[in-house]
Amino acid sequence: MSLRVQAESDLSFMLEDNATGFGWPITITDPDNNTNTNPLYGSSMDIGLSIDPDTGMLVDGQRVTVALRISSLSAQSLGIPKAIPDEDKRPWRVTFDDINGQPSTFKVSSSQIDRSAGVVVCTLENYIP
Amino acid sequence: MTVQTLTSLIDKQDNFEIVRDQIAGILVAEVENQMVLAQAGLQDPNLWKLDVYTERANPWDKWLNAPSNPADTVPIVNVWYDNGQFPENRGGTVNVQGHNTTYNIDILGYGASKSDGATGHITGDKSASLEAQRGLRLVRNILMSALNVNLQLKGLVSKRWVQSITAFQPSQDTQAAQNILGIRMAFEVWMVETSPQFTPTDLEGIFTEITRDGDGKILLQAEYDYITPP
Repeated sequence: MSLRVQAESDLSFMLEDNATGFGWPITITDPDNNTNTNPLYGSSMDIGLSIDPDTGMLVDGQRVTVALRISSLSAQSLGIPKAIPDEDKRPWRVTFDDINGQPSTFKVSSSQIDRSAGVVVCTLENYIP
Repeated sequence: MTVQTLTSLIDKQDNFEIVRDQIAGILVAEVENQMVLAQAGLQDPNLWKLDVYTERANPWDKWLNAPSNPADTVPIVNVWYDNGQFPENRGGTVNVQGHNTTYNIDILGYGASKSDGATGHITGDKSASLEAQRGLRLVRNILMSALNVNLQLKGLVSKRWVQSITAFQPSQDTQAAQNILGIRMAFEVWMVETSPQFTPTDLEGIFTEITRDGDGKILLQAEYDYITPP
């Protein structure tokens, strides 16, 4: 097995291990309202501080992202989440609980797709279903 | 070397402070008035509502880290003093100087992406921009109306002018979960500033009476102490 294939396989415990790792249950809904039927796990982040890249200073602001394994999305017949600018289409939606069990739904505002490693990182914004 | 000091306490606001508060006061009063007019015209008064602040560093914090649907998404207006110039041809060195000020009036709009109830969605970034522009529309129209040509401070304010309007595009690098967009209206106001003067002392009291004589002449009668020179 090549190292690159091994690296993609390792995503199962780097991203998706919800028993002993940081894997977190995430629900993905595409613009056609298709949702993952089986549990999908990935890395989620919802924090209140980030670093301004221009100044290096800490800035207030909620920053929410998820990282998902592309092959797991494909296995559930879901495409790769991305931003949908058209107002006549539904956006890609992502739902997950915070650490206290409070669910929130977000819209994918941008995605960084790494087809070499098999990971997609989605930057999310607040969404009212 | 002896240094003289003032004999009175400096306890007045400078005029630039008064004008800043006046700008905010005009916006608050007119927004309330517009909301009443809107209601009388059977329109949604909230479309004319603004939250007005002065000299705030972070008035939008109520939108940050809020649930996806903050209770209050009324556009925020923050009026703050940016800078002032004192042209030498407007005033003198003794008591009155012209003060050409620039106030930054920042208007912030919030937008949330949401379902349109059908097969599309309302985009939060566009909503935030339209909200900010709606707020700007209200602010500019209020402050530049004929009613406010001197910001209702005639004798103090000689000119007010919209210097520039700049919309701040959100950075693509640090996309926050909230869509908040700001527009800055640089607002120039010309006024005068005064400063403490010498407290005058009476040199001499002179009593005068002005009368009209029977032939129409104007007569001045004065009473004062006169010491015959030696």
